[in-house]
Amino acid sequence: MTTATAVLDAHGLTKTFDGHVVLKGLDLQVGDGEFISVMGPSGSGKSTLLYNISGMDTMTAGEVRFEGRDLGALSQKELARLRLTTMGFIFQHVHLLKNLSLLDNVVLPAYLAGLAPRTELDSRAMALMARTGVDELADRDVSEASGGQLQRIGICRALINHPKILLGDEPTGALDSVAAAEIMDILGELNAEGTTIMLVTHDTRVAARTDRVLYMIDGRIVGDRNQGPYTGAGLDQRHAELTEWLMELAG
Amino acid sequence: MRLGVRHTPDLPPDEDRPDAPRPNERETGPHHGRDRGGERRSPRTGLYGRMVARDFARNRSVTVVLVVLMMLSVLLATASTGTLVRLIGASSSLMERADAPHVVQMHAGDYDEQQLERWVEQRSDVAHHQTMLTVGIDGADLSFDGEDQTTSIQQNSLVVPNAERDLLLDLTNEPITQVAPGTIVLPVIYAVQDGLEVGQSVRIDAADGFSKEFSIAGFARDSIMNPAVASSKRLAVSPDDLAEVREHTGEVEYLMEFWLRDPDTQLAGFQKDYLDADMPRVGQMVDSATFRTLTMIGDGMVAAVVILVALLLLVVGALCLRFSFLTAAEQDYREIGVLKAIGVAARDIRRMYLTKYALLAGVASVLGLVGGLALTPLLTRNITQYMGSTSSVWSWLLPILAALAVFGALVLFVVVLLRRFDRISAVTALSAGATGDQSGATRLRLRRSRMPVHLRLGVMDVVGRWPTYLLLFFVFAVSTFIMIVPVNSATTASAPDFIHYMGIGPVDLRVDLDHADDTSSDQFGEAVDQLVADPDVTALATMITTRNATVDSEGNASSLYIENGDHTRLPLIYADGRAPSSGSEIALSLLALNESGRDVGDTLPVEVDGQVRDLAIVGSYQDITRGGKTAKASLPTEGEEVMWYVVGIDLVPDANAAEVSQVYAEQLAPGTIADIDHWREQTLGPTARLLTVAAVVAALVAVSLAVLMTALFTRMLVARDTGQIAIQRAIGADDAGLRRQYLTRMLLVLVLGVIVGTVAANTLGETLFNLMFEVMFGGFEALMQGTSRIDFAVAPTLAYVLLPAVFLVAVTAATVASSRAISAADISSLTTE
Repeated sequence: MTTATAVLDAHGLTKTFDGHVVLKGLDLQVGDGEFISVMGPSGSGKSTLLYNISGMDTMTAGEVRFEGRDLGALSQKELARLRLTTMGFIFQHVHLLKNLSLLDNVVLPAYLAGLAPRTELDSRAMALMARTGVDELADRDVSEASGGQLQRIGICRALINHPKILLGDEPTGALDSVAAAEIMDILGELNAEGTTIMLVTHDTRVAARTDRVLYMIDGRIVGDRNQGPYTGAGLDQRHAELTEWLMELAG
Repeated sequence: MRLGVRHTPDLPPDEDRPDAPRPNERETGPHHGRDRGGERRSPRTGLYGRMVARDFARNRSVTVVLVVLMMLSVLLATASTGTLVRLIGASSSLMERADAPHVVQMHAGDYDEQQLERWVEQRSDVAHHQTMLTVGIDGADLSFDGEDQTTSIQQNSLVVPNAERDLLLDLTNEPITQVAPGTIVLPVIYAVQDGLEVGQSVRIDAADGFSKEFSIAGFARDSIMNPAVASSKRLAVSPDDLAEVREHTGEVEYLMEFWLRDPDTQLAGFQKDYLDADMPRVGQMVDSATFRTLTMIGDGMVAAVVILVALLLLVVGALCLRFSFLTAAEQDYREIGVLKAIGVAARDIRRMYLTKYALLAGVASVLGLVGGLALTPLLTRNITQYMGSTSSVWSWLLPILAALAVFGALVLFVVVLLRRFDRISAVTALSAGATGDQSGATRLRLRRSRMPVHLRLGVMDVVGRWPTYLLLFFVFAVSTFIMIVPVNSATTASAPDFIHYMGIGPVDLRVDLDHADDTSSDQFGEAVDQLVADPDVTALATMITTRNATVDSEGNASSLYIENGDHTRLPLIYADGRAPSSGSEIALSLLALNESGRDVGDTLPVEVDGQVRDLAIVGSYQDITRGGKTAKASLPTEGEEVMWYVVGIDLVPDANAAEVSQVYAEQLAPGTIADIDHWREQTLGPTARLLTVAAVVAALVAVSLAVLMTALFTRMLVARDTGQIAIQRAIGADDAGLRRQYLTRMLLVLVLGVIVGTVAANTLGETLFNLMFEVMFGGFEALMQGTSRIDFAVAPTLAYVLLPAVFLVAVTAATVASSRAISAADISSLTTE
């Protein structure tokens, strides 16, 4: 799929590890405001795709443009700055810094970017935590929150610098179904407000809530399904159709 | 150490933990191939073996630090023990082979030979007695291989070598009993320090135009005048040559040498009786203990410093062991819980860890022992040259025992640490999560800080994980300590103010004149009259030292050297109290005060003019000259036994001390006049120089230790923090910022360590320095008696600016170099795929 206002544009993206080709000349365009899920069996290259289009990992060949900027031409320092100010990440196991309080974990990227006075950044962090329902945990340590609460903190951290795109690597993978649904509600709201989101997931119920589903096998995108925005109704229907599509792809 | 957690359903996969090994490590690690091997062994042995192997693979940095430290500790313990054994062995063997006298009284000028012989014949304690003639040659009249010896502080005397006792030994420790005419045998120090060789020439010139050239026939070890700190040296020539030189130049001095039947019990009594009997004594009296101390002091101090460093390294090694142990325990917390849950006895778990650490300690000990034995010949090269080598079974056995002792101490320490495992309950371990580690959380908050983010994160990490940094802190504190103490000792011993501790006030010139006969007092009187009239002289303090009878702490009669004069004119600094101001008062040196068993405020019975007077002890002061046992008073000296004269002179500000001393030098001969710096240099120079060498060596050791530990610690920390670094990189922190965090941590710990080390150096270090002086000047019986109370004369720029700056640069470089691994903290380690 190609959109006129692509946030991200990848051509011939190739990644090899020790001679093993993980991404095989992959092409991908992500439009502004899209909500995409990436599915596929283990080892198909989903997470590798995520880390390569964000500049966290260095691609072996190909070209990735983020808002028109060629990631391959940027230095490590410029890439770090790009991630800090325009991308947000959510991980399956959150990966918070253990020696910081929950609020400190949220404000850290904002302090690093230093784009506004610290008091303003603190207020923004508190507002995000209030919105995701974890503001009362602000002063707690990482060990003092549940998995669902920690994932909300992870989302707040990802959003603190107003990213252009939110990238998630199995953000609901370690959560029970109720907590996972709550997280997807939050992500749905963010997308509705205009944030571009791209998630790697194994969960078809999660993928059913996204606009577009990519299916990867063996380092290639073998399916690209546009299922339209999820409005909060008819999830079972979307889920059933998606499952059928996936079964077709898997043969 | 980790069980096969991937096969344990209730445990999360390794990727969940930031400290987990990366996938490729897991596949290529050394344990990989052992899994199959384990199937052939007993299941339990195989499991433990795999756990130990995985631990080595995972904690490579910590293991390397640990082995290096333990090895260094064993190495230094072995080397220092070996050095001491050889030093004592070589010194004893030299004294024995040379048949060194037990007491030597030096005497300048003529004496009544008959009277001395008669006195000796009456003594049942004297086994042998001999008198040796020496002819002192002024440095200006002597040249070695064309090099004038004017500036040498050595007093060289020609002698004819003895044939039976007090022998000079050649470099194979064979006695030199004869020297061919026209040749000369020099003390070995000139071969070692000046590089003189056999066949080169020695020339003696006299004021009357006489000149004689000798060819160096060899070098000799001298049991009583060997080391550099003993300023007298004996040069052996043939009897005819000695007689010839004596006719033209030289100052005759006799060495009255005595061998006692039982020196251990008879030495003190003999020395006192000799002085009481008014036997010839214009010069110093020295005994075998002094020879031994002088012979051993230089190398002994080096060995002592090495032992001290070895002990400190042992402590650092033990701390590192604890650190490594806790790291492993932290990682294995849950696994230990699993082992306990499936019924493995605590004893078996302990045995597994003990095996691992005993293995490490064993390897380190063997390497250290081999290194130590290899290093010993280098440390003992000096000893071998000056005293010859000895080979006894002890020179091998004791170093091995020392290595075994360090090994034993390390294993014992592990046994104590292992008790901790008994306290881990299976249930809490399993429910506590993957690790027993505290999160490192602190009350400090990033949000409330105005500091730059990376700086703040660095500080928070140090505060939150202080126990982790304790090892490094201790290393920095210890390194600072071992760097600053010798430096402060050296600057103290070289400082102009050190004069206060030598029993005299701050003067520009000092006159020393030994009392030989009645002409001495006339000579002294004339010199004083002339000095009083000298316009260059602003103040004068004349002191006449007498030997007076007193009693020691046990009530036994003893004698005391009392310096009489006006002590208020050029006052020295008193440790306690003040200068005596009347004839009924006395001030004692700290060593003399200690020996008298009294305190300031008490009275001391002193025999003056045939009457016993109780003098009030009004002050105490530090004195390290003349054996350190002196007193100051203003007693009448007429009719008393005068020992020597001292004049302290203050000059007008623009006077040239060297010129003034030149004027009086001839008039005062054989007494000396010297500007005070020169005098201090001559008296304390060898010690100060030794301390300077020790300071340089200690500084190198300290900086190397700090750099080594910083490098290894940083690597280990980065390895341990891989996950946390990866998270920060993922959210957009750049490598330079991350490196700043590590630099902040290291420098914060360094600053704390340097502060504590510097404070310790100036308190504990000062105490150590004083203990050294107590032993050097008062012997072991003066140890811990407060007989030395020297304040460190710190060179602030050196000690507080330059040395910490060196540390700062070295640690910064080591941190930057070792934190490169930050860039390799692989973000893909966070992936779940």
